[in-house]
Amino acid sequence: MQQVLNKEPINSSVEISKKVQKGEVILKVQDLYKSYNRGTPVLQDIQMELKQGEFISIIGPSGAGKSTFLRCINRMIDPTSGSIVFDNTEMTSLKKADLRKQRSKIGMVFQHYNLVSRLSVFENVLHGRFGYKSTLQGVFSLFSEEEKELALSILDKLGMKEFAYKRCDQLSGGQKQRVGIARALVQQPKLLLCDEPIASLDPNASKIIMDHLKDISETMGITVLVNLHQVDVALKYSDRVIGLNKGRIVYDGVPEKLSNSAIRDIYGSEIEDLILE
Amino acid sequence: MQATSSMQSNIKIRNGKIQIKTFNRSNFVLHFILSFLVLFTIVAPFFLEYGAIDIQTAIFYTLDNLKMMFLQPALSQVTLTAALYQILITLALAFLSTLIGAVISFFLAILSAKNLMPSYISNVIIAFNSFIRAVPTVLWVLIFAIVAGLGSVAAILGMTLHTIAYLTKAYAESFEEIDNGMIEALRATGAKWWHIIIHVVLPQTSSYMVSWTFLRFETNYGVAIAMGAAAAAGGIGFELFMASSFYYDLHEVGMITYFALIIALILEFISIRIKNKLIGSKS
Ligand SMILES: Nc1ncnc2c1ncn2[C@@H]1O[C@H](COP(=O)(O)OP(=O)(O)OP(=O)(O)O)[C@@H](O)[C@H]1O
Ligand SMILES: [Mg+2]
Repeated sequence: MQQVLNKEPINSSVEISKKVQKGEVILKVQDLYKSYNRGTPVLQDIQMELKQGEFISIIGPSGAGKSTFLRCINRMIDPTSGSIVFDNTEMTSLKKADLRKQRSKIGMVFQHYNLVSRLSVFENVLHGRFGYKSTLQGVFSLFSEEEKELALSILDKLGMKEFAYKRCDQLSGGQKQRVGIARALVQQPKLLLCDEPIASLDPNASKIIMDHLKDISETMGITVLVNLHQVDVALKYSDRVIGLNKGRIVYDGVPEKLSNSAIRDIYGSEIEDLILE
Repeated sequence: MQATSSMQSNIKIRNGKIQIKTFNRSNFVLHFILSFLVLFTIVAPFFLEYGAIDIQTAIFYTLDNLKMMFLQPALSQVTLTAALYQILITLALAFLSTLIGAVISFFLAILSAKNLMPSYISNVIIAFNSFIRAVPTVLWVLIFAIVAGLGSVAAILGMTLHTIAYLTKAYAESFEEIDNGMIEALRATGAKWWHIIIHVVLPQTSSYMVSWTFLRFETNYGVAIAMGAAAAAGGIGFELFMASSFYYDLHEVGMITYFALIIALILEFISIRIKNKLIGSKS
């Protein structure tokens, strides 16, 4: 755990690579293919290694396969072929109980938060513990005091403790997303998958969320993999940027080296509009 | 002038007028059947065989009977407490069949909701339900009467069966309206299927289920009255049957009808209150 508690500021690519090399490989994707209904492949020939505590953004145009890729990792979508090794376990061949166990180690954050709107913040956060519960424990909400304290401390860290008993449908978007992150963190995950976490938020709320995600990767040693639409945000926060176009990785490297021509490769011809922003 | 050219390409024009709808077989059949029914309703009375009945006197007597029933209601064979007691029995019949039906429906609805179950399971249950719903409650009661004998047991069985078919459909539809993202989010944490049922499906739909259930209770109250008369299930319906067919006491029929009506109104009122309170507070 020590190597990931490294809080040195990251301002050059040399330091980044140093830090990255310190972390062990947490996720290894090889030859991943995915096609829906035997149509054209949505993901092709994906190779990727993620290290502990890394902050990685995936950018790419709409329909590039970003969401599909994220969901292949925790098997919300079954890949067509290839290998995904997460935390030394091959994910693609897992069956029910083992899959649950692996999923409990992967947190997921969604664009639309996906909170149970009629339940309280506290209840929603505790949902993150279901992966560790038997059927009856979960059905009757039998959470230990430690789990409740964990949930509250995470809420506190995200500045949401005062809302613990508030119903989720009474929160703002930014607050909902913080609850979504809390639900993922209470799983005590090794990997956090975020599918466009700020796409429905205003700039202020977006900054708060991205700062929290960055902090999570730096201080908790959790690998954070974020799908993003905003190139500038990706450049600002990431240790590493992955560019996806038509299901293929067309860029994988530090943000500093992401040249305009590389961005053009990722986004195709629409790039001029993007750079102007 | 582009508009005209596009009009020529795919816009239908008949008798120089632009058609709003395109021809569609199911619409045509629907219109045909509706027109036929309207025509039939208008023409049919002219062909009815009235026998010796003089329409004028018939109408007069009917009005007189109605006057006896509703303007001069009175109890003669049953006492007031007995009538209230019988209403209680009718309510109990309705309550029991709704309650048993609701509990069973909850589980069946889980099995028949397409977002919670594979479609081959849900389709079987949906087909089975449609069959049960297609047969009227009274018929189910009479079918059960073969084994249970005419009476409250057959009535409750038949009403429960119909309630199950109805509520399963209503519950399943509200389950299917749940945002799939919530289910996805919990599956991604490693939650089990039952965890999702209890902690997503139940809280998100409980208010809909309560209001559907109460609506069905209202319906079952009405059915229970009819069953009292038709299947000797007891309750106020049986008294109504006795008053009208056995004692020919129209005053009493009127009084009992008023009783039944007041209870129905109260139920309706409660039902609306529940609906507004629960569903109104959602957004
Ligand atoms: N369930 C599905 N069935 C069939 N095709 C699908 C399904 N889900 C996604 N696709 C297709 O896969 C491709 C990639 O979709 P995906 O959602 O992964 O893209 P994305 O990069 O996340 O896009 P966006 O930025 O718009 O969210 C798209 O062409 C989409 O039409
Ligand atoms: Mg997407």
